[in-house]
Amino acid sequence: MKKTPILSIKNLSISFGKNDVIHNISYNLYENEILGIVGESGSGKSVSSLAILGLLPKVISKITSGNIFYNETEITTLSNKAFQNIRGKKIAMIFQEPMSSLNPTMTCGKQVEEILFQHTTLSKSEIKTEVISLFEKVKLPTPQRVFSSYPHEISGGQKQRVMIAMAIACKPDILIADEPTTALDVTVQKDIIKLLKSLQKETKMSVIFITHDLALISEIANRVLVMYKGNIVEEGNVTSIFNNPQHNYTKALINARPSLHTRLKILPTIQDYLSNTIVKTEITTEQRKLQHKKLYNKPPLLEVINVEKTYMSKSGWFSKPTTFKAVNNVSFKLYEGETLGLVGESGCGKSTLGNAILQLDKATAGQIIYKGTDITKLSKSAIKKLRKDIQIIFQDPYSSLNPRIPVGEAILEPMKVHKLYNSNKERKEKVIEILNNVGLNETHYNRYPHEFSGGQRQRIGIARTIALQPKLIVCDESVSALDISVQAQVLNLLNNLKETFGFTYIFISHDLAVVKYMSDQLLVMNKGEIEELDDADVIYNNPQTNYTKKLIHAIPKGL
Amino acid sequence: MQHKPNSLKQLALQKFKKNFWGVFSCFFLVFVGVIAVFAYVIAPDNTKHANQMHLSIHSKKPGFKVTMLSIPSGFNEKESVISNIFFGKKSTNTEVPISKYKIENNVLQYTEYASDGLEGVEKIVKLEVFPNNDVSKFIKEKRFLFGTDKYGRDLLSRVLVGARISFFIGFVAVLISLIIGVFMGSVAGYYGGKTDAVIMWLINVTWSIPTLLLVIAITLALGKGFWQVFIAVGLTMWVEVARVVRGQIISAKEMQYVTAAKALGYGNFRIITKHILPNIMAPVIVISAANFAAAILIESGLSFLGIGAQPPMASWGAMIKDHYNYIILGKPYLAIIPGLCIMSLVMAFMLIGNALRDALDVKT
Repeated sequence: MKKTPILSIKNLSISFGKNDVIHNISYNLYENEILGIVGESGSGKSVSSLAILGLLPKVISKITSGNIFYNETEITTLSNKAFQNIRGKKIAMIFQEPMSSLNPTMTCGKQVEEILFQHTTLSKSEIKTEVISLFEKVKLPTPQRVFSSYPHEISGGQKQRVMIAMAIACKPDILIADEPTTALDVTVQKDIIKLLKSLQKETKMSVIFITHDLALISEIANRVLVMYKGNIVEEGNVTSIFNNPQHNYTKALINARPSLHTRLKILPTIQDYLSNTIVKTEITTEQRKLQHKKLYNKPPLLEVINVEKTYMSKSGWFSKPTTFKAVNNVSFKLYEGETLGLVGESGCGKSTLGNAILQLDKATAGQIIYKGTDITKLSKSAIKKLRKDIQIIFQDPYSSLNPRIPVGEAILEPMKVHKLYNSNKERKEKVIEILNNVGLNETHYNRYPHEFSGGQRQRIGIARTIALQPKLIVCDESVSALDISVQAQVLNLLNNLKETFGFTYIFISHDLAVVKYMSDQLLVMNKGEIEELDDADVIYNNPQTNYTKKLIHAIPKGL
Repeated sequence: MQHKPNSLKQLALQKFKKNFWGVFSCFFLVFVGVIAVFAYVIAPDNTKHANQMHLSIHSKKPGFKVTMLSIPSGFNEKESVISNIFFGKKSTNTEVPISKYKIENNVLQYTEYASDGLEGVEKIVKLEVFPNNDVSKFIKEKRFLFGTDKYGRDLLSRVLVGARISFFIGFVAVLISLIIGVFMGSVAGYYGGKTDAVIMWLINVTWSIPTLLLVIAITLALGKGFWQVFIAVGLTMWVEVARVVRGQIISAKEMQYVTAAKALGYGNFRIITKHILPNIMAPVIVISAANFAAAILIESGLSFLGIGAQPPMASWGAMIKDHYNYIILGKPYLAIIPGLCIMSLVMAFMLIGNALRDALDVKT
């Protein structure tokens, strides 16, 4: 049976200035299907979908060749005015960032109404009832209230639902969802995916679902396109892609994400697949037990006892200040050489706890004992000495490096401040040694951060952190901003360094799969309190509290 | 393999080089700067402050020509060459514009120049006054390229020497405003809280006083004179710099590299000077260029009001003040020439500011 495609892209190439970002891609979208497009940042998945809507930035980008047919009409050559009739009405889009794609000065209801005013001839009261029914359709808890609320008054997940309501308001034929859940917590992500699926079933529209997460796409799409550097490298049915990937890149993408069932010693990276040097040594439960026995016999390196962090917010001159406990009564012990995973949804206080341990933010109450001394009561100069021992690796590799200092200098500076080694020459040699340790080399010494890719910058951040030879390193979402294949490389690097230098990690992340792979002990936090604390495998296989169960259940499993 | 260095600074410089108006203004400023420094070497009238008056030929058109007799003053004060180059000659010959002359019996007889067809007074000078009794070297045709001002001084020389004040007030005022503004701004922005409140209060108070009034008050307190004006203008302009620096620091200190610097145990001074300030220099440089222009304008305004540089010092503002009533008397060039000078200098600074703003925005 040959269906006619509702949207078909033929030999499309797009360039930005002199750079070609899309090379001659063609694909079809049929009626009543969900097409997943998966790829890493820079693979051109978003650019190609913006082209469908004619939303490419005019000045810097150009469609160099190819056509896009919507219901057999060519739309790349349409005028702006003709496009407006298609945009929103026939082809709608949901964006990644629900926080910034709603206008903060308009109520949510007004913003949805606006679209209906634009594209339909309904009367005012009809439109309002239509909007309320749309809100019911996207399962917003109190449609009436949301209708008259401003975007800042509702949660991120609710905002994304409003965005979906806006997108489906005119009953479009095609819905393009560009990373609609990336900015959301896993539990919310699961609900949104469920909603999109049921809406698609109900309205029989076609959906293009763009994401970097292969496991997620397996839960929603019928057909999958894999994009890599502006090319479509593989196309096919979900099950066949997952069970029988043909292209090395697809294989790497599937395997680079830490598995929830087995624990590989080294995660395979894309390079490994391309050069066919995959080592699949597993760490067995016995080996793990043995190692843990060794670890937990020593006295703890860090002990956190009943730590609390309260934020005061003053709403008015005369009203009482309201307090908010970001971290509430948290205690745990950390042993030398282990990795403690800290997991929880956004706003659960995991980063606040990390900052309290680092003494970047003072804890309001409780004790933090490092090597027998309570570091919450230290003097300023003693804290400065402590900085050498406790270090942090940041989330965002783009903003954690000073753009005006060459990376070599940036790594050298902490040594200078803490008066490690005797001369600058000695320090420089040491910096080069560290650069080699993190997989960079001497030629990178005088380059500036903007000359590196995201993964390389994260390596530089790690190099700067280990320059001080700390004992304890807090990794605050250190791999969350990285692509999956790069993430695997950085995780391998972290494990490698831990073995060589004997670091102790506190690994903070919202991604349970990554945390489980990395950690010995796992700490689940919810609303500032400890929900569960145990061996990572024990928690995963046998969660005790409802919250943990929900969290584990929400992880996209893949096929 | 030699790695090509490309720091953000160099990228910005490359971008700046592509901006025609920016580069043009830059060359213009260098040109004006050279003129300002070597004003007395270039100027036809190299007396101190270009103050050689010839009342009989006052307010003449550009290109006016006259025969000039210079009579040696008789004293020979010793002056160093350097002081002559940078500050002009102190003692000079008396210059007399003449219409005709003859030499009889060791006496030079000449008729003073008089305009509007009047007959000048005849006078005599003994030839002994001139070295070797030789007059020929002392009688010359003199041309006034920009004409003469209302005291018969060479307008071109006045304009050249006047460039100094405009240029240097820009430098000094911007320097003072940068030193105070960057310091206050960084302290307020970085520490926040009460420190911030106190400094912001100071900024708001300073800002609420009209600039001219404040400068007048400061000049009155410190006395009249052009150094006082320099300081006064600088003291009023730090406010804008401080505001900009404070705002930039508040957003820059949220950047992760600042947190990283804290976590690495760097001191506050190091964090501010090495990690924050270099990253917020772009808007400060742009506002400094604008301040440069503003300082020049304030100085000419003050000189126009008579509380800036004091006569006989040449200043463009004061020159306009001296001659603005000639505009309706058919000799507008006396005021227009210094006016154009102010305009072109201010314009050059503004264009440079714009070019820098585009160049330093390395995001694109």
